[in-house]
Amino acid sequence: MRDMKVFCCLFIQFSQVINGTSCSAVMTSLGSSSSSTTEYVVRVPKNTSKKYNIMAFNAGDKVSCSTWTQARMERDMSNRRIYGEEETQEGAAGSEFGKKQREEARRKKYGIVTKEFKVEDQPWILKVNGKAGRRFKGLKKGGVTENASYYIFTQCADGAFEAFPVHSWYNFTPQAKHRTLTAEEAEEEWGRRNKVVNHFSIMLQRRLRGQERGEEDEEEGEKGGKKKKKGGRGGDLRIHDLEDDLEMSSDESDGSNGDDDEAKSKAKKDKGPKGKGKKKKKKGSDLEGFEDSDDGDFEGLEVDYMSDESSSEEEEPEKTKPNKGEDVPKGIDEMSDSEEESEEENKNEEDGKEEEEEEDGKKTPVQVEKKKKKDSSGESDSSEDSDIEGEAASALFMKKRTPPKRGGGRGSAGSSRTGSRPGTPSIDNAATSNTLRAAANKLEQGKRQTTVPSSETPAAKRLKMEPSPQSSSGNGTPQPASGKSTPSSSDVLLTEDAVRRYLIRKPMTTKDLLKKFQTKRTGLSSEQTVNVLAQILKRLNPERKNINDKMHFYLTE
Amino acid sequence: MSDKGEVDLTGAKQNTGVWLVKVPKYLSQQWAKATGRGEVGKLRICKNQGKAEVSFTLNEELTTVDTIGEKASMVRAPRDHPFTLQTVGGQTLTVFTENASGQSDAEAGGSGTGTGPDKIALEGVVVQRAECRPAVSENYMRLKKLQIEELSKPMRFSQQLDKAVTTNYKPVANHAYNLYYEKKKKEEGKRARADKQQVLDMLFSAFEKHQYYNIKDLVDITKQPVIYLKEILRDIGIYNVKGTHKNTWELKPEYRHYQNEEKSD
Repeated sequence: MRDMKVFCCLFIQFSQVINGTSCSAVMTSLGSSSSSTTEYVVRVPKNTSKKYNIMAFNAGDKVSCSTWTQARMERDMSNRRIYGEEETQEGAAGSEFGKKQREEARRKKYGIVTKEFKVEDQPWILKVNGKAGRRFKGLKKGGVTENASYYIFTQCADGAFEAFPVHSWYNFTPQAKHRTLTAEEAEEEWGRRNKVVNHFSIMLQRRLRGQERGEEDEEEGEKGGKKKKKGGRGGDLRIHDLEDDLEMSSDESDGSNGDDDEAKSKAKKDKGPKGKGKKKKKKGSDLEGFEDSDDGDFEGLEVDYMSDESSSEEEEPEKTKPNKGEDVPKGIDEMSDSEEESEEENKNEEDGKEEEEEEDGKKTPVQVEKKKKKDSSGESDSSEDSDIEGEAASALFMKKRTPPKRGGGRGSAGSSRTGSRPGTPSIDNAATSNTLRAAANKLEQGKRQTTVPSSETPAAKRLKMEPSPQSSSGNGTPQPASGKSTPSSSDVLLTEDAVRRYLIRKPMTTKDLLKKFQTKRTGLSSEQTVNVLAQILKRLNPERKNINDKMHFYLTE
Repeated sequence: MSDKGEVDLTGAKQNTGVWLVKVPKYLSQQWAKATGRGEVGKLRICKNQGKAEVSFTLNEELTTVDTIGEKASMVRAPRDHPFTLQTVGGQTLTVFTENASGQSDAEAGGSGTGTGPDKIALEGVVVQRAECRPAVSENYMRLKKLQIEELSKPMRFSQQLDKAVTTNYKPVANHAYNLYYEKKKKEEGKRARADKQQVLDMLFSAFEKHQYYNIKDLVDITKQPVIYLKEILRDIGIYNVKGTHKNTWELKPEYRHYQNEEKSD
């Protein structure tokens, strides 16, 4: 029975064959149950004008042609100008007589063969689903037809196969619509890859930078740009609570270049966090390294600027003081100048400390700081201190030169620092330099900021400051300002007389002096000791001598 | 008429499945010789307990191989070609066609000259990849041997000639071209100094066409002796090295009229 059926099938089909115009498939089916064989005729049409090409997509791109509603494809002619040498102005101005011939002769002589621009070989640009859809670029794959030919077998209506030769093969890759970094930017980020935790901000910064570049032509180093950028970033940073915590005063010194630089470097790194995760990442970045903590500092700056706290606004003009105290490489004059200015404005204890030291030419305060830091923060800032010591040492020299007319203003302990800056770290100070030292300074300052005695701060400012500094360094509560404008008169042992006695007896370094007035005995904190000592020295104005490369003070009565 | 660049997506929508088959060169050459409607052979698909075996049989008349040399009749292309089936893998392969449609009738136009907008259509998606291999036979081996011999012949070869070549260069007292050249020079004669004004006119019109001129070219244009010409040029023009090693003359700025420059005359 079955065979009969089969036979019938055959018969019917044969009749079709005879009637049909085309040579249809002769389907022969052979018997056994598990296997069946069918034969088809294969045709290779000769006259087709259509060229068949392969469009290859990568597996990972998950391209499904069925989802395409509409597509446009055209050749990418952007390489044309490379190949078709642009003709320079022909005739009249700028042209030489017989230039073309000469050029051609020259090329022939040297055997320079320029490749033609072949439209056939240009890549395709495929746009799927309109403007909002995907874009693909299709590059021609070479060598497809050299050794073997590819054919496309399609089954026709009549069952026969038609084979079309493949003319060329294009590999299509999706084109990114999101912004990518340029090569230079990518190089920079690569250098920072170990430090940057917050990768979202990289692109964000780039975008912001792009926006601003639209407004001004210069890169973000510009002050004006920085301002705007800070404004822009401030918006982004608003959600970043950590900045409040850090209490890094917003260093909006528009006048300071250092700021710009810092801001720029910050901009490039962990800036403008968006989203909750960023907060944490910011913190992480703070802990990572000097430079990152710099950024952390600046984060604080932004927020302060944005916040309506009055101090931040008041601080702003202050911050223009480019206290380059730590900036050893800068010119000597600059430094002295900057210090003079800063005297009025900077209320940062650290600044004061350093300035005191500079003023008085003592190195021990730095050590005192170091000690204090160790005590309070318990962090190993000593390395930084030693750096700063070196800096301070030279700074001290400069300071010494300038007469201590700023006696009043100097020294956090006794200075009448009217600057309204709360005890925020001297961001200006460090912000104005790109050196590692400055960064280290800032790091310290950031960590030490809560211990600003804020003796100068008016009460209001202090109140504001107090809740805010909750430094990551875990310093203690801000010290109550004990010595307001005069050295602590409460202590028994650290007096001018005592110091004078020591200095008359023999030359001493600041370190030595400090050792004499140990905190346990005087009842003062190390900070206060330093301040007071600084004031005393200012008043005494001892002579200086350099013994063993160390600055010694002595008095001759 | 469809938009240029608009892709016809009917093939994709229908999800037409096609096979991508890699075919050996000699086979495609044989297929090119097909006559009539282009029938080249038969494809046999055998479904054997789930496994499909595909094989292609070349038509008898297409087995003659065109070869140079004596072995033409002996070698024939093999007829049996089993297909090795492969999966497409992760790749998505689609087939699109380009149709040069310079005219209204898409088919009639020549293909792919790029002069007119192409009609691009998506024909289908590749569902199966296959390789067409010849069934190994004596025939095939002979064919391959022939191919290899042909390919291994160097493109250049030395051939011994019977007679020496004497047609190219003969020693000559004076070449024809030289004679012609000297005669021409004699006719022209020495260049005579024309009127200064005339020369100036010629120069100005020349400089209208191009900005920079070589002294030799100017001599050619004006047909003046070099020294005379140089004198005139020194009046109205400047000689600049221009950074390139060619030293060229150009008009003085006050005489220039070019569109791009600010004119001051």
